[in-house]
Amino acid sequence: MTDITTGAPAGRARGGSASLKGAGLLALGIAAALAAGFGLGGDPFLLNLAGYTCGFAIFALSVNVMLGGLGEVPLGHCMFYGIGAYAPAMAMNHAGLPYEAGVAIGMVVAALIAAPIGWLTLHLTGAYFSIVSWGLSGVAMVTALNLDVTGGPLGLFGFSRLAVGPFDLSRPQTYFFVAAAILLAVLVVLYHVRGSRFGRAMEAIRQGPHLARSLGIDVFRERLKALVLSAPIAALAGALSLPYTQIVTPEVMSVLRTVDALLAALIGGVGLIFGPAVGAVIFTILPQFLDLDPNVKVLVFSLLIILVMVAAPGGLHQLWKAAAARLSHARKGDAP
Amino acid sequence: MTGWAVEAAGVEKRYGGVTALKGVDLRIPEGAIHGLIGPNGAGKSTLFDILCGITKPSGGRVSVLGMDVAALPAHHVARRGVGRTFQRTATFRDSTVRENLLFASYGRMRHSVLQRMARAPAWREDMAAFETRADAVLETCGLAHLSDQPAAALAYGTQRRLAVAVMLMNDPKILFLDEPVAGMNDAETAEFIALVRDIARGRTIVIVEHDMAAIGALCSEVLVMVDGAQVVSDTPERALAHPDVVAAYLGTDADD
Ligand SMILES: Nc1ncnc2c1ncn2[C@@H]1O[C@H](COP(=O)(O)OP(=O)(O)OP(=O)(O)O)[C@@H](O)[C@H]1O
Ligand SMILES: [Mg+2]
Repeated sequence: MTDITTGAPAGRARGGSASLKGAGLLALGIAAALAAGFGLGGDPFLLNLAGYTCGFAIFALSVNVMLGGLGEVPLGHCMFYGIGAYAPAMAMNHAGLPYEAGVAIGMVVAALIAAPIGWLTLHLTGAYFSIVSWGLSGVAMVTALNLDVTGGPLGLFGFSRLAVGPFDLSRPQTYFFVAAAILLAVLVVLYHVRGSRFGRAMEAIRQGPHLARSLGIDVFRERLKALVLSAPIAALAGALSLPYTQIVTPEVMSVLRTVDALLAALIGGVGLIFGPAVGAVIFTILPQFLDLDPNVKVLVFSLLIILVMVAAPGGLHQLWKAAAARLSHARKGDAP
Repeated sequence: MTGWAVEAAGVEKRYGGVTALKGVDLRIPEGAIHGLIGPNGAGKSTLFDILCGITKPSGGRVSVLGMDVAALPAHHVARRGVGRTFQRTATFRDSTVRENLLFASYGRMRHSVLQRMARAPAWREDMAAFETRADAVLETCGLAHLSDQPAAALAYGTQRRLAVAVMLMNDPKILFLDEPVAGMNDAETAEFIALVRDIARGRTIVIVEHDMAAIGALCSEVLVMVDGAQVVSDTPERALAHPDVVAAYLGTDADD
């Protein structure tokens, strides 16, 4: 369990089982994606929604690099999502560049902007960091609202060809498979980040910044690296929203988007690599099935969060963990 | 090197209106186990923070292992062989004992995320070196059987030993221990004293402690501080018999 949580091959004996477990989870993810992709019965609406949900899951993962990784609440993270959505839209509409080039530009720009923003804000922690980060995303939103290149309040739309190489994202099933594949790739990368020297530095900082510093960890630098890593992931998520939304407006940088991702991460479990992705799926599917009004949705999920926090402060995965522990315990108890 | 692990002269620290340190002089020879005692609020922890580069002094000169620690960020000081435990015991509570040591090996590791993904030799070497060192440190600190226990579940005295183990992963040349045996029972204290003697070989140790028996058992010399100023520096026996020290302790014993 802890192997997955920290991504660390904690002991010689357990190193192998950790990577086995990782591979097993990956296979499970691929199977789930294939089942969903073919099982949604070619319903274009559901497939498009599923593709969009994969993008949202990637955003939740990005947010969780800061939340679960550093223990910070990055309210302004929607800015990077927005940059990721605007970049391909602008590249296609103004420069005639292909979608993929725009996605790459968005990711690079997000990382380049994250560096100075982190430099300014990451000396702050807790509520101070959250609020300043939110403020900066507000600045970005107002900028998008007032520039011509971003299409002002109307935003950008009428994109030429949304495709990744030979894969045409305007076909719902292709969109879903591409988004799901990218989601799995992001999960794999984040899994390895967590098990690396850098990932452990983040975890040490989250648990005890003073102790981490006394162990020679440059707390500020590692926090900055975490932001610079998570920003392009958020941008990638934003770019993947285009085939579903078909438009980018300043609204894309609304703080509510970050709040949604935070809720998804909290529901799925911030301590687990794939927790936020699971949370994102729950977060999208549930309101769809229950046909919830957006305002009611916020209420329902706030209540859900409270319930989760009371029953399992680490996220829903704690309940699964507890259930699994009880099961294996019972099995051991039965053994002669 | 000069033969001195710590050389501090006229160290001052002011917090707004409060003067925590009023010109402290301190010299600790390399390889010594040195004590630092004084009533509550004397400024012992503040002096520790300054010697580790965490707090910057308002005045005076501070050299630790030949470094001007006032001019260096704390993580640099730590990387160059200065370790410390905290008065309010600090471990990585959400993680197991072994993971605590893994976090502590940060400075000894070199691999990147990509090398970890590829399971490259750099990663495997880092992990193998970690396993070897962790096993040795766990053995030294009597934690080998607790390797997979969550830190938060450990008994208080055991957590203190874990805090030392975490620091030992970096093999510090000087180790500062802030009230390490506070709250321990006699058996735990005796065990801890043996541990400190064991790990003192090849390094300098500085201990802040209210337990005078522990100080007497371990330290060759002790600096007594009262109210941010030094009173006397001598062997534990003679320092404790000093009239000013007796007065200072009698004065505070009343409110303890
Ligand atoms: N960050 C701070 N801001 C303001 N005052 C401080 C700060 N840190 C310490 N002080 C003050 O400095 C003085 C010395 O504190 P310090 O913690 O160094 O004492 P100590 O000798 O370690 O005491 P104890 O035995 O209780 O641990 C106290 O009066 C304390 O209130
Ligand atoms: Mg103190």
